[in-house]
Amino acid sequence: MFIDIQNMCFNYTNSSAKAVEGFTFSVQKGEVISILGRSGSGKSTILRLIAGLEMPKCGSFTLAGKKIFDDYTFVQPEKRGIGMVFQDYALFPHMCVADNILFGLPKMSRHEKMKRLKEVLELVELEGFEKRYPHQLSGGQQQRVALARAIAPQPELILLDEPFSNLDTDLLVKIREDLRRILKKANATAIFVTHNQNDAHALADRIIKIKDGRIDQVGRPCDLLGIPTNDEVELELLPEESQKELVSV
Amino acid sequence: MTKDGFGMMRRISNVNGWTIGSVLIIILLFVPNLSIVTGIFTPPSENWAHIQEFMLLGYIKSSLTLVFFTAIFTIVIGLSLAWLIAQYDFPLRNFMKWALILPLSIPPFIGAYTYHGILNYTGIIQKTLRNQFDITPNPAFFDIMNVPGAIFIYTLFLFPYVYMITRIFLSNQAASLIESARTLGKSSVDIFFKVVLPISRVSIIGGVSLVILEVLNDYGVVKYFGIQTFSTAIFQTWFGLGDLDSSIKLAASLMGIVIFLLVIEWVLRGGKKYSFASTKVRPLPLVKLTGKKAVIATSYTLFIFTVAFLIPVLQLLDWFVLTFGKVPMEEVLTYTKNSIIVAGTAATLIILFSLVIGNFSRITKHKFGNVLPKLTILGYSIPGAVIAVAVVTTFIAIDRFLAPLYLSMGLDSALILSVSLVMLVSAYIIRFFAIGYNSIESGYAKIGTDFRDASRMLGVSGFRTFFKVDIPMMKGAIISGFILTFVDILKEIPLTLILRPFNYDTLATKAFQYASDEKIMEASQASLLIVGVSAIAIFVFHKLLREEPE
Repeated sequence: MFIDIQNMCFNYTNSSAKAVEGFTFSVQKGEVISILGRSGSGKSTILRLIAGLEMPKCGSFTLAGKKIFDDYTFVQPEKRGIGMVFQDYALFPHMCVADNILFGLPKMSRHEKMKRLKEVLELVELEGFEKRYPHQLSGGQQQRVALARAIAPQPELILLDEPFSNLDTDLLVKIREDLRRILKKANATAIFVTHNQNDAHALADRIIKIKDGRIDQVGRPCDLLGIPTNDEVELELLPEESQKELVSV
Repeated sequence: MTKDGFGMMRRISNVNGWTIGSVLIIILLFVPNLSIVTGIFTPPSENWAHIQEFMLLGYIKSSLTLVFFTAIFTIVIGLSLAWLIAQYDFPLRNFMKWALILPLSIPPFIGAYTYHGILNYTGIIQKTLRNQFDITPNPAFFDIMNVPGAIFIYTLFLFPYVYMITRIFLSNQAASLIESARTLGKSSVDIFFKVVLPISRVSIIGGVSLVILEVLNDYGVVKYFGIQTFSTAIFQTWFGLGDLDSSIKLAASLMGIVIFLLVIEWVLRGGKKYSFASTKVRPLPLVKLTGKKAVIATSYTLFIFTVAFLIPVLQLLDWFVLTFGKVPMEEVLTYTKNSIIVAGTAATLIILFSLVIGNFSRITKHKFGNVLPKLTILGYSIPGAVIAVAVVTTFIAIDRFLAPLYLSMGLDSALILSVSLVMLVSAYIIRFFAIGYNSIESGYAKIGTDFRDASRMLGVSGFRTFFKVDIPMMKGAIISGFILTFVDILKEIPLTLILRPFNYDTLATKAFQYASDEKIMEASQASLLIVGVSAIAIFVFHKLLREEPE
């Protein structure tokens, strides 16, 4: 398996309750996985644990044959080869688009860096925006820059935290399609968290449903959406606008 | 090895440079103060028995009298000005809004000797009355070198703390409450007493606590006026009687009072740091004053500004012109350079240490990451004289410890560090760390951790992220922190007087020395430089960097 997570658990220092418990899951290369759950279900915590931004209390994680963590090992986030797109994109406000994207590129010649910059800008269809600063871009453009920045160093895995929560509803469908196209074209393995079933359905090859920090259901979107759980019924009853308002963990 | 054992090892391996650096800095900042605590338990000397029996009560009485009345008057002036500026529009309001902060640029000891110079027998007022109006008033009427005079000086130059904090609160946070009161048909007087006063309680207490700490810390005014307080007593016992142990005991008693007042402050605030019910900043719409009311508002604000800033500055300028050339330029340049070097070094180190501790506090998941930095900012509550005692005691101990090393290096003195600038700079860092740290901490809070996480997810190390992402984004906080700390150190008196190396003068010590030697006019040059630099810094900070929306 390309990604193998076994029995991952976690609780925050100021709480004795388990935020994530017994999370076991595998992903194949090139798969796009959605972690779907309600606010407070632990889905964003799972993403942060995979990223290395939180330290798990137990479990193990292997990525492309490399041990990322277990009882003996903990690889720091910058050494994992994992890219991440943050909920609010976290584009460095003091850097232009080009500098944001070049920031994470490993040591290579200037010519190679420029080549890579051109490639990713083409991929996200933002050629000509190199010198713009984040505040000069729309929400959708910012998201694409964040994606380009995460993809540029060619990470083994890309994580996306609520990638559509900051976008207007009328832009949503187009950007969802764009994102899937970009991820597939880049042959990226990706995990994204969302509270919105429509997002999960439109983007994911497989969905993991999370409830109270545990895996509730796993399956293909077409299979899972056919057998709604009680929670799902509640979620589906909400209009998309309201679903967007639910905040991730 | 057990699973838990490995978990622990993994955690230990996660302890990084930030943790080690922060713990070391915190120890350096905090440990000297412990010498005060241990000093309480040393056997008392004869002097101490004498001080305890005959003097201690007097010190407590005079210190608390100064604190109590200054607190009352600064609340009255500070709150009334804050209310006027926040609620009403009248001629000169926009100028007054920030000009009323300027009295903070005049250190109370400079204000004290300037007013003494204005009001004494040869001062402009009595001279004018004698020469122009042929009136010879009773000089005792103009004597301000007493407790009420000191209260007058503290009130004039410290009220901006209450004004500043309360005005920002009223302007930005109280809009909906005041508007509701208006729509319920309440008069301005009713609104002031029934709404403004109760809701501003936390900001007033915040401002007045700073005033109280400044009064307890002050040495310049009470020394110049000949009033016996804890600060002067600590100096006198130490240098006059040569009894460091008794001055440590006095310092510990003063610390006791400070802790007692801080507890009262905490209780009065109800344990809350902020009283904001809403994070939304909505400015209070101004009520336009016309006619007599506008004249009264403008006259009142102008009067306070004139008395607390304009008059002392004009007097200093007058003296400066009269004595121009009397103080050799070379001397002025030397103590200006000294001031810039010590204040600049200490402020730079404070900002660097704050960046390390602030970053540690931000990234650590452990509770002690939040608690430890709080210990370091306690220094601002500790009066300068107490810190001076603590630092000297610590440095003498370090010198004793290092004595064999000095000997092996061929140095003929047993005291190296305790007679060097290192001691003075260390004391500044302990005393003023809170000023720089608050600025840096709010800078970190503003940028959050997402940018740092984003950078690390791009494969960039935490250390490189700090320089490439955090520092550029914190530029504003770093500059404001540096300016505020630099200016406060520039004005500092007790620490500098005690801890400076022999013959090492700064702007503040030179001004104080001239004034103490009754060369008030000659003191004007150094004083004007301090006031000028502070006023520019205050203007830049409040008008340009921290301007509140309106």
